[in-house]
Amino acid sequence: MGTISRDTVVSIILLLFCGFMIWAGTLIRDPQFGELSPAAWPKGVTWVLTAFCVVYFLQSVIADRNGTAYVPAFDETRRPGLTGWFRYYFNPIICFAIYFVFLATLPFFGTLIGGTLLVFVLLSFLGGIAPKQIVMHAVIAVISVGAMWALFTYGLRVLLPRGDLFTVI
Amino acid sequence: MLENVLAAMGELATFQTLLLMTVGATAGLIAGAIPGFTIAMAIVLTLPFTFGMEASQGVATMIGVYVGGLSGGLMSGILIGIPGTPSSVATTFDGFPMARNGDPGYALGLGVWSSFFGGIIATVLLVLVAPQLAKVGLEFQPWDYFALIFFALTVTASLAGDNMIKGLISGALGVLIATVGEDDINGVKRFDFGSDYVGEGFAFLPVLIGLFAFSQLMSDVRDRVSARKALTEMQDVSIRIEHRRAIKTIAKDWINLVRSSLIGVFTGVLPAAGSSISNLLAYDQAKKASPTPEKFGTGHSGGIIAPESANNATAGGALITMMALGIPGDVITAVMLGALLIHDVIPSPAFIAEQPKIAYAIFIAFFFANFLVLALQTGALRGFVLITKVRMYVLASIILVYCGIGVFSLNNITNDMWTLAIFGVVGYVMRTLKFPLAPMILGVVLGPIAERWLSRSLALSTDVTEFFTHPWSLFFIIASVFSIGFSWYQKERGRKVWTLWYAPLLLLAMTLPLFMMGGTFRPILACVMIVAAGFMLVKLPQAARTLKSITEA
Repeated sequence: MGTISRDTVVSIILLLFCGFMIWAGTLIRDPQFGELSPAAWPKGVTWVLTAFCVVYFLQSVIADRNGTAYVPAFDETRRPGLTGWFRYYFNPIICFAIYFVFLATLPFFGTLIGGTLLVFVLLSFLGGIAPKQIVMHAVIAVISVGAMWALFTYGLRVLLPRGDLFTVI
Repeated sequence: MLENVLAAMGELATFQTLLLMTVGATAGLIAGAIPGFTIAMAIVLTLPFTFGMEASQGVATMIGVYVGGLSGGLMSGILIGIPGTPSSVATTFDGFPMARNGDPGYALGLGVWSSFFGGIIATVLLVLVAPQLAKVGLEFQPWDYFALIFFALTVTASLAGDNMIKGLISGALGVLIATVGEDDINGVKRFDFGSDYVGEGFAFLPVLIGLFAFSQLMSDVRDRVSARKALTEMQDVSIRIEHRRAIKTIAKDWINLVRSSLIGVFTGVLPAAGSSISNLLAYDQAKKASPTPEKFGTGHSGGIIAPESANNATAGGALITMMALGIPGDVITAVMLGALLIHDVIPSPAFIAEQPKIAYAIFIAFFFANFLVLALQTGALRGFVLITKVRMYVLASIILVYCGIGVFSLNNITNDMWTLAIFGVVGYVMRTLKFPLAPMILGVVLGPIAERWLSRSLALSTDVTEFFTHPWSLFFIIASVFSIGFSWYQKERGRKVWTLWYAPLLLLAMTLPLFMMGGTFRPILACVMIVAAGFMLVKLPQAARTLKSITEA
């Protein structure tokens, strides 16, 4: 008693999300023609989702009370607290961040340079930055993205995004 | 029929198509052999290459990947005890002990040939059943379609097992995601929040690749130590497959092979149930039917034949549903459906009749893919084992960029790349919180179709009782109700008395729509079902007493 499980927290967040979507559903314009208004289906789905989330919330609360709540399997590499959480998910968080930076800088670097940089940075972040590794990562990045770029540009005739840095690639 | 077969052969029997299928099958085998990669991911990654191809060529390539992936999973499962894909989980139960006992070549032989025969049996059924099911599908009206999609979504959620509520939430979230953007019927923007990007809606394929592939890659590199390790530490790459011995054993155990293949096809036909379930079901049945069940788990040949034939046969079943009804049987056929839609080919009950060239190309490609995979597995086993020595972080980094480029090539807009990344985050969070992703993906695919059919139903009649007065619609609604209760039934079976009522009630409830359908066969079938249910009900008190005494003891 007294502790709230992860499922309960998730169910509360989901219920808040449902509340937000119910409100957003009221903003959908109704053109007043056709049997099924454009808002009817999303509103119906949102209410169904809300009902499921209420069940999930109740299940989680009851499990909390009975002490049968789901507890993630013990992982010795995971430490308690926010810092522990951040360390545990450090790799995916940084990888996602690197990917978003790649997308944000795509109009400047373009696919070939941006993609090569992305692969190189990801490889070095995940694999290590010893001098030998850096050389190997650079080679892998240039060859893999170069081949991909050539295949899509010349093989599949896709005009991949070009950057302001070098407008030809 | 012959002219359709010849036309489809003409389409497929080109050097380019055969080469593409070979590349696809090889890619599938590699992806299947790598623990942590799924077949769905391999299919998703193949997708961008198929945009520029002819529809039949694109689907043939994807079928190559599909069959290759199903067969590839057995290699790592047998040789290192880690199933390459969820479809090969049961193969490891006996494959790995057999390999450890000094018979890896025999274990691989059993796996390779069982996969092949399972695929061939499924092809025969695909050719025979799909056109018949399509004829049934022609009876469907908008109400029936809507109810069928509702049924598919409930099956997906109910297969989430203990996490059924999470499965339902995941499915509903998928349907909700698909509502974002312009609606198909009136062109009104929904949930756009004033943003042009959101107002355009999320393209299905970037969402799917983000949810499945991107999030999977992030899960694979979460732990830096395992991300830096080679995927397998296997040293011995000089194993030879024992073909003759394996074929002899399979020929002796043909009942197991046929039964498992039928289980596989049936599981595949069910909307949303895939090879990850069929291999376990077939293994379980093989063990129950075996005169030596105690030997299962120690390296029994039947424990390899059953799951491997079942998982390959599932592909045939999933294709039957996709081709005959236009409903994806699993995530993999959902991607294929997406690929066909890009080429303006819309699978429906009329698909086989209206697009015979593509339909027969699918039949032939599925048949041929099994031979191709058999040859590739035999000839390049050493190569596949070597490939699994690549480090995961290297693969993940390269594939992340590939995902982005592939998604861009779909519509040539960078917004799709943002969608990919955003849904990569969503998928990763859901995986971490133990929400199943399959219901969400099927929700994204089926949601718009369901809305379209609902709209058509209401355009014909605003009376909602129509959903209960049309026999097929009623059939699927009843099936949905029972499928929702199925996970509870499965959990409590053999422990609670109420579970004894499940099967007879299901049979009795299903008779109502069957009688409503009329004709000769269906009412007779309904009568048989009533007799079967009656028999179960008569036996019920005795079964209940036995169950009570067992549970009390």
